[in-house]
Amino acid sequence: MTTPPSSAGAQTASEAPSRFRLRLTVRDLGTLIGLVVICAVFAMLSDVFLTERNLVNILQQSSINSCVAIGMTMVIISGGIDLSVGPVAACAAVLAASLLVSGFPVLLSICAGLAVGAICGAFNGVLIAYAGLQPFIVTLGTLSIFRALALIYTGGNPILGVPTEFRRLFASEIWIFPVPVVVVAVLVVVGSVLLARTPLGEYIFAVGGNEEAARISGVPIARTKIAAYAMSGFLAALAAIILVARLGAAEPTLGNLWELEAIAASAIGGASLMGGKGSIVGTILGAIVLGAMRNGLTLLNVQAFYQLLATGVIIILAMLIDRLTRGRE
Amino acid sequence: MSADSRATAPDVLTMTGVSKTFPGVKALDDVSLDVREGEVLALVGENGAGKSTLLKILSGIYRADSGEVRLGDQPFVATSPKAAREAGIAMIHQELQQVPRLDVAQNMFLGAQMTSLGVFTDKAEMRARAREVLQRLDPTIDVTARLGTLRVAQRQIVEIAKALLAKARVIAMDEPTSSLTPHEFERLVEVIESLKAHGVAVIYVSHKLEEVFRVASRATVLRDGRFVGTVALKDVDEGRLVAMMVGRALEVSHQQSYAKDEIMLETRGLGRGEAVKSVDLTLRKGEVLGVAGLVGAGRTELMRLIAGVDQPTAGEIRIRGRVKAFRTPRDAIENGIALLPEERKKDGIVPQRSILSNVSLPRLPFLTRFGLLRRGLIRSRVRELGRNVSLRPLDIDRQIRVFSGGNQQKAIICRWLMAEADVLIFDEPTRGIDVGAKAEIYRLIEGLAEEGRSIIVVSSELPEILRVSDRVLVMRRGVAEGVLAREDATEQSIMRLAVTGAQLQGSNP
Repeated sequence: MTTPPSSAGAQTASEAPSRFRLRLTVRDLGTLIGLVVICAVFAMLSDVFLTERNLVNILQQSSINSCVAIGMTMVIISGGIDLSVGPVAACAAVLAASLLVSGFPVLLSICAGLAVGAICGAFNGVLIAYAGLQPFIVTLGTLSIFRALALIYTGGNPILGVPTEFRRLFASEIWIFPVPVVVVAVLVVVGSVLLARTPLGEYIFAVGGNEEAARISGVPIARTKIAAYAMSGFLAALAAIILVARLGAAEPTLGNLWELEAIAASAIGGASLMGGKGSIVGTILGAIVLGAMRNGLTLLNVQAFYQLLATGVIIILAMLIDRLTRGRE
Repeated sequence: MSADSRATAPDVLTMTGVSKTFPGVKALDDVSLDVREGEVLALVGENGAGKSTLLKILSGIYRADSGEVRLGDQPFVATSPKAAREAGIAMIHQELQQVPRLDVAQNMFLGAQMTSLGVFTDKAEMRARAREVLQRLDPTIDVTARLGTLRVAQRQIVEIAKALLAKARVIAMDEPTSSLTPHEFERLVEVIESLKAHGVAVIYVSHKLEEVFRVASRATVLRDGRFVGTVALKDVDEGRLVAMMVGRALEVSHQQSYAKDEIMLETRGLGRGEAVKSVDLTLRKGEVLGVAGLVGAGRTELMRLIAGVDQPTAGEIRIRGRVKAFRTPRDAIENGIALLPEERKKDGIVPQRSILSNVSLPRLPFLTRFGLLRRGLIRSRVRELGRNVSLRPLDIDRQIRVFSGGNQQKAIICRWLMAEADVLIFDEPTRGIDVGAKAEIYRLIEGLAEEGRSIIVVSSELPEILRVSDRVLVMRRGVAEGVLAREDATEQSIMRLAVTGAQLQGSNP
């Protein structure tokens, strides 16, 4: 049959044959442009902002949030949310730190911390996937539980005296980049490949896009969700370990409000809280936008209260721009 | 029907030379129609023919670029939905816009509450007025009942009553029967007759041509946004009308049977609660088994059991003679069973993902090397499958949601071909799909059977069942009432089983 497509929808779409393949990068490009604009403004207002040292500094300062936000993005794409990342990080931090302080090998301590993070995340995932509870509520509950565990374990006191051997591991540089920045760069590549080129990545998008259709198509829903939350927990733990190395101590109150920073980075980067949409590159750009804002305002000696204000404005502005540009599709 | 006697009744509404362009698409091009007092005019055409656009112009959601609309002898421009309502134009949407938590009377007065002392809503008065109007349409509806407790058919009548309450002169109904049972359709016909008797003009939009011939006296046909013609329905037959809609004649032949002896799928005493009760079913290789029955007869529920979506509480499923238990759809898929669900948007597609992602989803674990997806291989397989089912446009990177219903269905067929399913269960395969694409879906089903796959087609449209099936299983109240061989299956024999059950059926135990 040679009938032309009869639906108007199909006709409009046929005008831009490869739009979808470009779509993700177009959205990411938008975030990038936003970042460039912000940087340009700060460069005009401050001589220091655009120096190599300061730019590396921004990346360094953003690396903790970037790390958490990559995991958050996975969860958000799968149609969920993880409010418990901060307390999960605290659990991982205090465990790893206490092992380090009592003389366990560095690598083993790090692995133990990461494992705790992954287990905490998987616990969230199991409650969500098998008990059918809402992600918001589950992770709101575990937010308290994990924080309490960290506080109980340490008696509320910070764990001090982390060995310098461990601290040096993250304080060194590869070429001009500090190790945490390199770690994040590796995570971006691994995360992007995982989302775009593995069955798990497709499953995460499918579960977030339409869970029932995914189920009928044979997607292992529970396993996919648990994997997403476990990754989020794992990456929160990794962020915690980077932070412990930087500070030389592990506070049980570490990671306060990390979840909000990470959600903000994901949202600025184009992840939809409805699920089924988002990108790792976008999220990283989002995290750097937030980091550059904070850095620039600090350089300009703007009071912290106004920094908070600016962060909020940037989030809303990014969403508005997103909304307006999508309206034209 | 007394339609002819009204042929000289005055026009209530005329639209002349109406055009509407959206960026890149001419949605309506010089379309005209007129409806007379007490008349039902059918508006027909394939999906994307411009019916919805026309209705939206009529109801003030869009403004026409050019052309004239006259209400009675006055020129009329619907500047907003409110203006259209006040001028006496009412829309009954496919998806009813009501508030389930409010009662019937409150819904009928939604946006136009009656008040006493200017502040308090006057419930008693609203209920009395609502009752008065409903009396004419369906006296069984209680105006104090919560709307959410009513069946869809009753809610629709409430919506029509609301239109009457607002003194509508023209009521446009967009696919009003999409979720009605045949019996409920009969009720709707009575309601429409009553509207006609009150001099209301009705514009009836439907895919189902049998209904159009039942209800309407004339039909205006649109194709690709253009006006094809207006015909008196007593002068044309269904084939002619379809030809006007699609611009070519469609063959309506009966499919050939490719059924072999080998039994692919059997259920024995399969049941779940009250929905499905002890169903025995046999499906052979290459066979197309139609499953008929009224809405609520348990057909979809039975299919969900076979496809592992729900768990049976009784009985067993055998694949090639072996007893299998499916805990998830994944288990069923591994055994070659695939479900193409009735509500594609809700259960079938991941809308924002590409055709590529949607089609390859069940097969992904088998398409990797070192844990990474073999993209080149997947792309070429999906493209080839898409070409085989003539997916249009053949752009596998495009989001599936922008494709027409028919092409989404083709993509889902590709999904299961890719997953190498042997048993494909189609639940309402052509719901919401336009006439041209329907024929394509039927041909695809026939092709699948010819390749030796086994097919189950659940459908509420008897012509569809009769067209595709080798045998027809008829369900009623969760029970398989009987199986009709192709030569015994007629609309009458199926309906008899579906409505009254086997006890009144002489043959075919």
